[in-house]
Amino acid sequence: MVRFLIPSVAVLLFLLEPEFAMLSPIEIKGEVYFLVPRFLILYLIFISIYYSRQRAVMYGLFFGVLYDVFYIDIIGLYSVLYPLICFLAGSIVKVIHQHLVVTTTISVVLVAILEFILYQFFFLIDFTAIPLADFLRSRLLPTIIANALFLMILGWAFKYLINARVLQRAREVS
Amino acid sequence: MPHFFFNKKVILLLVGMVFLVALISFSLRDRTNATLPEQIIKDTVGVAQSIVAKPANYINGIFNSIDSLLNTYEENKRLKARLEDFAVVQAEATDLKSENNKLRELLDKTESLKAFNPIHATVIARNPDQWEEKIILDKGSSHGVQKNMAVMTAKGLVGKITLVTPFTSEVELLNTNNPNYRVSAMVLGEKEAYGLIEGFDEERNDLIMKRIDSSLKVKEGELVVSSGLGGIFPKGVPIGEITEVSTDDYGLTKMAFVKPSADFSILEHVVIAKRTSTVIDGSDGNATNEDLSNPQEASKEEAE
Repeated sequence: MVRFLIPSVAVLLFLLEPEFAMLSPIEIKGEVYFLVPRFLILYLIFISIYYSRQRAVMYGLFFGVLYDVFYIDIIGLYSVLYPLICFLAGSIVKVIHQHLVVTTTISVVLVAILEFILYQFFFLIDFTAIPLADFLRSRLLPTIIANALFLMILGWAFKYLINARVLQRAREVS
Repeated sequence: MPHFFFNKKVILLLVGMVFLVALISFSLRDRTNATLPEQIIKDTVGVAQSIVAKPANYINGIFNSIDSLLNTYEENKRLKARLEDFAVVQAEATDLKSENNKLRELLDKTESLKAFNPIHATVIARNPDQWEEKIILDKGSSHGVQKNMAVMTAKGLVGKITLVTPFTSEVELLNTNNPNYRVSAMVLGEKEAYGLIEGFDEERNDLIMKRIDSSLKVKEGELVVSSGLGGIFPKGVPIGEITEVSTDDYGLTKMAFVKPSADFSILEHVVIAKRTSTVIDGSDGNATNEDLSNPQEASKEEAE
């Protein structure tokens, strides 16, 4: 049961992302803020940290291709960035402590890096013309805050679920 | 031995990079059709997405109705004030409509650029990373949707179809930065002024209407609607209201900033307009001037 729960949560998060994206952009006092939901990659980072780096990279590749084909129509963007982020997360965690607060911070920082790379790419191919300062204020900061909130609410649940799977696997082996 | 492995990895990495760049540049080209594997993925994800979208839209609807319930008193007061004018306007409109029909019959002119067959569609997803302004609908080519058709809400035009698969279609919204995105429009002033909606000003949140003849008078507050002269869109779909008029970069024609009448941020149900009169690929599409309504016949004529 737990075995199928991990990929099905990933699928659910993948399908929920665009629904949450419909709530954005929000307007506060004449300023427009974009909130980009990054639930799936946060979850994959957690899998990479607490479960298995290799497994996370595989999931990252699969969902990256789906994301590229369905939403972006530029194949090879998310399908490289998602596995890369998972790989980075899995590598970082080997040298530091696995406390929930630390991993949450790392996840949010990695999402910020992802967002920044995407901005640079879209700037390069002329899809967007907004200057760096505007990007930081109207996109990066609100996105980081929203995703950090999401992770604070559901991070422990991810960890609980993944730990249950790890325990089950250990029992199967023994 | 370790040296050999190092080399192998580097070569693998380089090959991977070349492959990646090739893939990205292939998909960045201005493609008109999705490839078969892409179509299969799009349709499968689209079906799953529309299942999730239903409860999500429902919950969204509940929040919206609570929101409108809170505003009921204010709204009621405003609407009552407008109701009296409305009766007069409606009587006038029915009168004009019947007169218009009679005159059309007299002239034997039954086709109109205004007429269209609506295809109702639900928004199942919005591009989550929001770099391109794009939404995905649950109707595709099997429902009669074609590329470059106009997409609108009750308030006005929101965009046009850019990609169609059998069961989904993609809409690029009007507030895009794509320089190849044009909509033929006209200003409803004392004398109609024609121009093209090209581009979006992000700071002002306004659309930019270019190439208006400089001899024509265009004022702030005048309405802008689609002209139907681009070949694909029906005539008379509201686009917005002029907020500022200036001359364009070369000083030869006028340009105007247009506040869009439709709200692009919250879209749930939209209407795809299938024009009933002949469809030609003009400035609303790729400007090839091809007859889109019966392509076989058109190519036959060209061959002759």
